[in-house]
Amino acid sequence: MAEEQKEAKPKKRTTATKAAASIGPLVKEFITGTLQAKAEGKQKVAYTFIVCHHEEIFRALDVVPVWTENFAGICGAKRDAERFLQRAESLGLSRSLCTYALCGIGFDQWREELGQMPPDAPWGGQVRPDFMISSGQILCDPRSKWYQASQQFMPDVPIYNIDLPYPLYQVNRDHREVLGYYHQYIVKQLRGLVAFLEEQTKKKMDYDRLRELVGLSDRTWNLIEETYDLRKAVPCPMGTGDAMNTMVPINFMMATQKAYDFFVDLKKELEEKIARGEGEVENEKYRLMWGGGLPAWYALNDFNYFNSKGASFPAETTYRMVAPLHEMDLPETKDPIEHLAWRWLGYWTFWYDRARKRPGSEPDVERLINRIEEYKIDGVVMHEAFSCRTWHVGLIWQLHQLSKIYKPIPVYVIGKDGKKEKGYRELPSLVLESDIIDITSYSEVDTRNKIDAFVETLESIRTSRAA
Amino acid sequence: MTLPDYFAGIDIGSTMTKAVILDKGVIASIIGPTGPEQRRLANRVMEEALKQAALSIQEINFIVATGYGRINVPFADKQFTEITCHGRGIVQLFPEARTIIDIGGQDVKGIKIDASGKIVDFVMNDKCAAGSGRFIEVIADTLGVSLDTVGDLSLQSSHPATISNICTIYAQQEVAASLAEGVPLSDLLAGVHQSLADRICRMVNRLRVEDSVIVTGGGAKNRGLINALSEQLGHKVLVPEDPLLTGALGAALMGKEIIEKARKSNAPIETKERILEEVEIL
Ligand code: SF4
Repeated sequence: MAEEQKEAKPKKRTTATKAAASIGPLVKEFITGTLQAKAEGKQKVAYTFIVCHHEEIFRALDVVPVWTENFAGICGAKRDAERFLQRAESLGLSRSLCTYALCGIGFDQWREELGQMPPDAPWGGQVRPDFMISSGQILCDPRSKWYQASQQFMPDVPIYNIDLPYPLYQVNRDHREVLGYYHQYIVKQLRGLVAFLEEQTKKKMDYDRLRELVGLSDRTWNLIEETYDLRKAVPCPMGTGDAMNTMVPINFMMATQKAYDFFVDLKKELEEKIARGEGEVENEKYRLMWGGGLPAWYALNDFNYFNSKGASFPAETTYRMVAPLHEMDLPETKDPIEHLAWRWLGYWTFWYDRARKRPGSEPDVERLINRIEEYKIDGVVMHEAFSCRTWHVGLIWQLHQLSKIYKPIPVYVIGKDGKKEKGYRELPSLVLESDIIDITSYSEVDTRNKIDAFVETLESIRTSRAA
Repeated sequence: MTLPDYFAGIDIGSTMTKAVILDKGVIASIIGPTGPEQRRLANRVMEEALKQAALSIQEINFIVATGYGRINVPFADKQFTEITCHGRGIVQLFPEARTIIDIGGQDVKGIKIDASGKIVDFVMNDKCAAGSGRFIEVIADTLGVSLDTVGDLSLQSSHPATISNICTIYAQQEVAASLAEGVPLSDLLAGVHQSLADRICRMVNRLRVEDSVIVTGGGAKNRGLINALSEQLGHKVLVPEDPLLTGALGAALMGKEIIEKARKSNAPIETKERILEEVEIL
């Protein structure tokens, strides 16, 4: 039966850091933790989404988050998503809706139908929640609709939706004009969440504890920035392949001491590697940036393939969901909820002022330029995952805009009079195409053919660079 | 007296194998027949090219393989992807080239070249036959016309039909149904070419198409497709004399550059033992 079939196991991936290698057991541990919490019944467990700046509220009220995107990603990484995707498809849902959502809905339907976990559920499976906290993000409708679809199979599980908008970028208008309105709105949303959680947990929010947890996250944010900044070193000690692991504490463990400690260890490990002159690849020839797009979780080995060609990835934009707090100029407040709302707005508008200073730029393009310069990047790689429009709409446009306004590579060109002249060219880029967890959209041979062609382009630029 | 230099390029595509031998210019070029068995027997195409040039394989200074079957060619000294080789071949023939569209049997590639003749960007459609030469082949088969004539026949149309299906299989059914309804053959073919051109444009427009646009590959031989492409791109489209050979030409030129560079820097030149045997296809 198709549902029983699993896809071929991927080749073992290697990581450059011990910290990244330690992530698997860590994820397993928190998934087991959700199952245990549910079994013991002392803490409430809740489905929720990453990047909502609400972890502190969850943890202050001892609610155990079940990161549904994470579970779908695990199914993908284990090449075991297809049976859940097919389940959801047989309910009439299209793959192009968002395969994370489809995987989760398919899993929920199966679990609810059986009254127990589906057979061989990855890492013990996704626990039945006590409630679900959804939140859309500008473009992401699945993050609002996913749980509504799952609720069909568990009508007794309530949903609370929080809306977290941020002002969109306008070249000629300072976003600060409207920031206050957004702030008030977000504060209301978060207070609503607190009230809902208090009702569900029958606990009262301890605001001192919340303040402490917010402080812990802020310190973790700064520590992550300092740690990732170390990747500017040449050779680069840790690449994006590893960062797809180290995103776990950033996105799923924020507001825990464990996340903070993880980055203390990673920072130390990177400093030691830098002192030894040890890079992610032995002979670093090209420094690349993962300039956008969620990864193909079942094909993280492709990072090793890049590495085998001498290409390292010192920087990425994906999943680095923090920014330097000291550069945000956040208003002082003693109220942790108000601070969370300011931090949310500070994060999403972080590149706005910088973008306004460069004609033709935009915040996302400005972030690319900043990383290219700071991390000495030779080329940009993006991944267009067909089923997630939220993160992927606009990637090609960003590359076009980047190539229009930013030409950092000196080259010789033949001028109109037939003479050699010095000119400048854009950074080469590569767009890979497949999906986050739908392996049927991926071809290893074709992907690697593209990588080969890209590396040849990098090499030809390297050798023809004008002095 | 110094002996002349010879360079060979072999392009093992998904349906055709091509070989080019150069000294100062092209002295031999062969296009092998289609089919997986022939791809495996790419050594025969090489043999024929050598025969045409009256050379033995040992006389070739450097051999570069490209195309999907490039990896396991036992007699090649180095491999490069089709993107690099098409780019190199076209820049040789058309130094003003900025956009290349290669319409192969199973896939389509778009390549962007900058003013220094280097590749800036590329796109490939590799997952679906819908945008490739295979699409026309399937339709020609359905309509019972030879592949060589579809392009010219389509140019006789005054009311091109609309083909709404993107998938090759569904488009095939749509064409068959329209034929049964009495839609003239030329109108159907014109519609098919426009539909294919539309898909190719959607893909290559990602590259921000700039003049001069050069089309290579089997698709470049189809005048109907070239017309439709030029119209939809809004750019004049140029076609090399031998549009199937540009990859192999580029491969040979890459070999020439490797040798010249090595000589300039007194670096050792690594070549493989020249064994003309079958290619192991993945
Ligand atoms: S559409 Fe994208 S952002 Fe939204 S849930 Fe799916 S993967 Fe996440």
